[in-house]
Amino acid sequence: MDDSTILEVEGLSKTYMQGKIPVHALRGVSLSVKKGEMVAIMGPSGSGKSTLMALVGCLEKATSGKVIIDGVNVTDVPERRLPRIRREKLGFVFQHYNLLTALSAIGNVELAMRFSNVSKRERLDRAQSLLENLGLGDRLKHKPTELSGGEQQRVSIARAMANRPAIVLADEPTGEVDSKTRDAIIGIFESLRARGQTVIIVTHDQYVADHCDRTIRIIDGGIAD
Amino acid sequence: MLDIIIRNATQRKVRTGLTITGIALGIFALVVMGAMSENFNQTFEKSMSLTSESIRVFPEIGVFGGGLTSGKVAEVKRVPGVKDAYGLITTSFEEGHGGMGGKQVMGIPPEKSQLALNPVKLKSGRFLQPGDKYLTVVGTSIAGEFDLQVGNKIEIHDKNFTVVGIMEYTGSFFDNVATIPLETAQDLYNFDNSLSTIFAIAQEGVDEDLLAKRIEFSVKGTSTISPTELREQASQSLLIFSVITISSALLAAIIGGLSVMNTMLMSVIERTREFGILKAMGAETKDILLMTLGEAAIMGVAGGLFGIGLGSALTYALNSWLSTKGMFLFLITPRLIVVAMLFATIIGMVSGLYPAYRAAKMSPMEALRHG
Repeated sequence: MDDSTILEVEGLSKTYMQGKIPVHALRGVSLSVKKGEMVAIMGPSGSGKSTLMALVGCLEKATSGKVIIDGVNVTDVPERRLPRIRREKLGFVFQHYNLLTALSAIGNVELAMRFSNVSKRERLDRAQSLLENLGLGDRLKHKPTELSGGEQQRVSIARAMANRPAIVLADEPTGEVDSKTRDAIIGIFESLRARGQTVIIVTHDQYVADHCDRTIRIIDGGIAD
Repeated sequence: MLDIIIRNATQRKVRTGLTITGIALGIFALVVMGAMSENFNQTFEKSMSLTSESIRVFPEIGVFGGGLTSGKVAEVKRVPGVKDAYGLITTSFEEGHGGMGGKQVMGIPPEKSQLALNPVKLKSGRFLQPGDKYLTVVGTSIAGEFDLQVGNKIEIHDKNFTVVGIMEYTGSFFDNVATIPLETAQDLYNFDNSLSTIFAIAQEGVDEDLLAKRIEFSVKGTSTISPTELREQASQSLLIFSVITISSALLAAIIGGLSVMNTMLMSVIERTREFGILKAMGAETKDILLMTLGEAAIMGVAGGLFGIGLGSALTYALNSWLSTKGMFLFLITPRLIVVAMLFATIIGMVSGLYPAYRAAKMSPMEALRHG
């Protein structure tokens, strides 16, 4: 693990309005994550884990506080420049895979590189290589509906890795897979860590957390002591 | 990006097909009405260029005889500045089949035959000459319809006429005219000594507008239309005709555009989560706009192509059928095709603007939470 910090969160808060009632999803969360670290975020449902991931992933604007990714304070970055940060620094793995059903496995992975000015040849080569490394070499042309849950999640991980991001954010990546597939997914994340990539995993599964370098527990929108 | 746009457009084939059909019908109406308008425009323009040099003299009340006689022609000729004048009668070739595009019989003084038809040239035969009685010079459409050659007979108002000349194609109303000697026409249609119109030709250097006023002033019971007035009247009539035809077609096309908007709104709502995924992967607002607008434009282009194809096919078939009756009603011009295609594309894109804006402005998380 590198000692340099890749992610720094300072006093991060997010308040949603439910009608006229404010709901404080996150209250002044501060944390830092080092390059090549694998961190689990745990907590009960509704505690603010997914909100934290959305704010760190620049998918939503924080009400207050700072998110600094690789030295850039993304909370100060104008909206129009956030897509570039998402492309270059972040990769997302969702619990429900979120694959485009009209595209094949290789099409889904290749799509992630389309917005990064990567040539078509390179996109296809890289997508094929990623899928083969994840054991999906014989599933390249299959549509998501023709793949098992575990296979779909591996396609989703390949897609997150396509742009070689500094940080992979995984929201409940093992929530809908069996234990064998869970082990395989953990193995993939461990190999990412070994290559110096940072992996942040939101999970309910202590088994997954046990494989991480540390666990951050969130309760009622704040970090538990 | 084009492959994604095409993939999105073809993903829901029935809905896309129905939308394209909606636009195609609008553009079809635009092409058919536009072709009719183009044909009238061209016919008017050519007719104007062939006949606009003369001052038209009409009876003060009504144009169907009564007021004008051969005596009036002599009076018009005496007006200072008039080089020559002649009277003629025009009537429908077949009773009850007059009107725009219909065949006409024109009774003209044989000695003025060439002048009255100037600058129309003959494809074969000769112009009418003094002493001719049941002889005719016919336009190219009439010759085509009745398969006439010089020397053949044609029945006009229950009398047989021998064709002595056939005009070259002009693209004007002359193509649908059979000219016969004025006196024969007056006998045939019981016009006695009456005339429909007198044509007056100005001497060189004489202001035609002023001369027209002078004729009105000098020859009692007449009204005139100078070449300038004729051009203005024709332009106004054409403009009104074009506005009516084009607006009804535009209405049809706008309805097609609304169906694109409806389809795109549905599509955007269904794909909200997909847009969220794309944004999470780093897609920019312009990428989402391009994707959505591109899809709408593709439907517009496809609808335009189908509409133009259908419209061209129908107008071609109708023209072929009408040509057997000596009529030609539609004219597809390059500018009509370009306008119809541009209109289809623009209407597709404009209709896609709002759905595209809705898709692009959503925050990634808001879109991901959808559905």
